[in-house]
Amino acid sequence: MMDADMDVPMQDAVSDQLNPSIMEDSGTALQHTVSNTNDNNSNNNNNISSSNNNHNSNTHGTNSNDNDEDDDDTYNDIEFKPGSSGIADHKSSKPLVLNNSSINQLDSWIEKLAKCENLSEDDVGRLCKMAVDVLQFEENVKPINVPVTICGDVHGQFHDLMELFKIGGPCPDTNYLFMGDYVDRGYYSVETVSYLVAMKVRYPHRITILRGNHESRQITQVYGFYDECLRKYGSANVWKMFTDLFDYFPITALVDNKVFCLHGGLSPMIETVDQVRELNRVQEVPHEGPMCDLLWSDPDDRGGWGISPRGAGFTFGQDISEQFNHTNDLSLVARAHQLVMEGYAWSHQQNVVTIFSAPNYCYRCGNQAAIMEVDENNNRQFLQYDPSVRPGEPTVSRKTPDYFL
Amino acid sequence: MDQVPPVTRGRQVRSLPLPHRCNNPRNPACAHCGTVIIPSPAAIMPLEDTPSISVGSWTIESRKRPILDTPALSQWESEHLPGLGALPEMIFGGNYVRIRCDLDESKHWDIEFNALDALREVPTEDSGVRVSCASDWLRSKHRRCDGAPPQIAKQYDWTYTTRYRGTVTGCPLVADTTAELPLAMLAKPDPILFFDDMVLYEDELGDNGASMYSCKVRVMPERLLLLARFFLRVDDVLLRVQDTRLYVEFAQNRVVREWKRYEADYNEVFKRHRGGVPPHRDLRALLRDSNWVVDHLPIVERTCETIQL
Ligand SMILES: [Mn+2]
Repeated sequence: MMDADMDVPMQDAVSDQLNPSIMEDSGTALQHTVSNTNDNNSNNNNNISSSNNNHNSNTHGTNSNDNDEDDDDTYNDIEFKPGSSGIADHKSSKPLVLNNSSINQLDSWIEKLAKCENLSEDDVGRLCKMAVDVLQFEENVKPINVPVTICGDVHGQFHDLMELFKIGGPCPDTNYLFMGDYVDRGYYSVETVSYLVAMKVRYPHRITILRGNHESRQITQVYGFYDECLRKYGSANVWKMFTDLFDYFPITALVDNKVFCLHGGLSPMIETVDQVRELNRVQEVPHEGPMCDLLWSDPDDRGGWGISPRGAGFTFGQDISEQFNHTNDLSLVARAHQLVMEGYAWSHQQNVVTIFSAPNYCYRCGNQAAIMEVDENNNRQFLQYDPSVRPGEPTVSRKTPDYFL
Repeated sequence: MDQVPPVTRGRQVRSLPLPHRCNNPRNPACAHCGTVIIPSPAAIMPLEDTPSISVGSWTIESRKRPILDTPALSQWESEHLPGLGALPEMIFGGNYVRIRCDLDESKHWDIEFNALDALREVPTEDSGVRVSCASDWLRSKHRRCDGAPPQIAKQYDWTYTTRYRGTVTGCPLVADTTAELPLAMLAKPDPILFFDDMVLYEDELGDNGASMYSCKVRVMPERLLLLARFFLRVDDVLLRVQDTRLYVEFAQNRVVREWKRYEADYNEVFKRHRGGVPPHRDLRALLRDSNWVVDHLPIVERTCETIQL
C-alpha cells in the first residue's frame, strides 16, 4: 500500500466498510468492487445509454484528428466516441424552460445529491439532456454580472464543496462562477459533478460552470472519474453522458467586462476576447490550439511565451498578461488549475490570480482553499477555508500498519 | 471603481469585507460584521504529529506537516534548489523519517529521509523524457507561429527522478552486492510497534502522469524495515519505480540498504495487461497504484550496501 492514493481519510475508511465500492485503487481492492453497483441502474430499457447511432452528430465532427487517435489500439476497448451517450440526440432549438414538474424533479435530485447520494443512471441521463439544452445556448465567453463568487478546482471533494457553499453563502442567494475541474482525484466526482450540473439546470442564471482540462474524455480515463463511474454504476454509461455533456460547457466568462475567468490561462493564438467567441468549443478538448491553451496554460515568472520542459503546454509571462488585460480593457485574469497552499495566489503584479477551492487536496496536502467574492462595486475579497469537518469524524488520514516488504 | 488592493510580499492586504451570510464555526469572528471569519486560521490539515519510538540503542522518529506555503516555496526555489526550473507542486518540506543509533555517549549514527535532500539529487539537465503529445504539439507550434517559436524556458529533469537513498550522518554504508534482505525474518508476523507512511514530494506533471517520493516504516521488537519509493508515471510514455529498502537488526546493530530500479515503456505494460483486468475495473486505475506497477515491471538495476555499527 505504498501509493499515497491509498491514503483513505477516516470518514472514507469507515464508509468503505459499509460500502465496499468506494475502495480506492489497489490490487487488494479488486475483490471488493462492484458489490453495490446495480441497485440504481437495472436494465430497464434506457434509451439514453443505448442510442449509439449518433457518432457523427454535427457538433462532434470537427476534431477529426482526435477521432483518428481514438481509433488507435490504446482506446479501442473503450467506446470512446463523442456523442455515443445520446444525451444530445434531440437537442432543443430553444433554451430549456422549467415547469413545475421539472422544478420538483430537480429539487428532489438536488436534495438527494446534497446528502452525497448519487442519482440513478436514468436520472443522470435525464439531467444531462436538460443540461444540454441549457449549456448549448451559453456563449464561449459567458457574460456575468456582479456580485459573484468565483471558485477554482473542486476535484471530486464533495464534502468540501458543501463547505464552500457554507463559507460563500448558499446558492441561489449567492451567485457562483466555477472555473472547472469538478472531477478526478477526489472520491466523489460523480456526486460533485451531478450536484453542480443539477444546480446549473435549476438556477441557470445564478451559477456558471466553466470547463476545466479534467472535463475531458481522455483525462478522466487517467485520473479517476471513469473508474469511479465504473465502480459506482457498473458500466461506463454515466461517464459517457457526463463527458458528452462537458463538450457543451462554456470555456470562459467575463465578469462585469473586467475580470476574464477561465481554467488555465492565455494562448498565443488569442489576443482579444472576441477571438474566444469565434472558437467552436463543442468538442473534446483538443491536444493543441487555442481552446487547449485556455484550459491548460500556466503563468510563469519568466517573461513572454514559454514551452514547458515536458514538451507540451505554454507558460505566459507578466508582459503577456499585462498586454492582454490592456488590449481587452480588463483589470484581471482569474484562473484555477494550480494548487496553492493559501487557496489563492497573485501573480504578474496582480494581473493574474490563481484560485484553488479543494482544501487538503487529495486528502493529504494540508492546503487551504479559497474563493473570491466580487461585489457590486467590483471590490474583491478572498475567503479562505479548511476542509469540512463532519461531527464525530476525525479528518486525519488513518494509517493501518501493514506488513509491507 | 476597480480597486486592486495593495500587496506586501507573502501577505495579502485585503479590501474591506462585505457583510456575510456564511458561518464557519471554526473561524474567528469577522471584525467588521461580526458574523464571519476572514481569513480562517492557518491550515490545520493534516494535524501535525511527531511520533517516535526507541528500541535498545535505536530511535525512530517521524514528522508530518502540510505542503510548503508560498513564501517557503520561493525560498526553496531561489536558495536551496536553484537548478530546478520549477519545484514539484506538493513538497512536504517538514516531513521526515529519522532512524538513529546511539553507539555511546558521544557517538551516534543516523539516517534520515527528507524532501529537500531528495530533491537535491534531481538532475538539473534535460532528462530527454517528453509527454506523449509533445512531438505533435511542438510541430503544430512551428507550423502556426510566425517568427521565432517559443522556447523551452529552462531545462531540468521535470520528472523529478531522484536516486536519493537517505541522508546518512556518520560512517557511510559499504557496497556489498552479495547481501540480501532477510525476507523470511520480515515475513514473520511480529507485532508492529511503530508505523508511519508519508509523502515527501509529489507532482502531477501538469496532468501528464505522476511523480512521487514516499516513505514508510514499520518497527518490530527486533528489527525494522523502511521503504522509500520514487514512483513515476508519464502517461502513455514511461513507468519507473526506484525503491530503497533499509533493514536494521537492532541487537546486532547491522544495517542493510538495498536499492532497485524498475522501468518499462508505459504502452508495453498497458498492452500486455489490458486483457487481464477484471470486469468493471480499469487498467489505468491499476497503473496509478505503485504497488501494482512495481509487480509488473522488470528490475533494471540493483545495488546493496551494509554497515556494521
Ligand atoms: Mn486543471
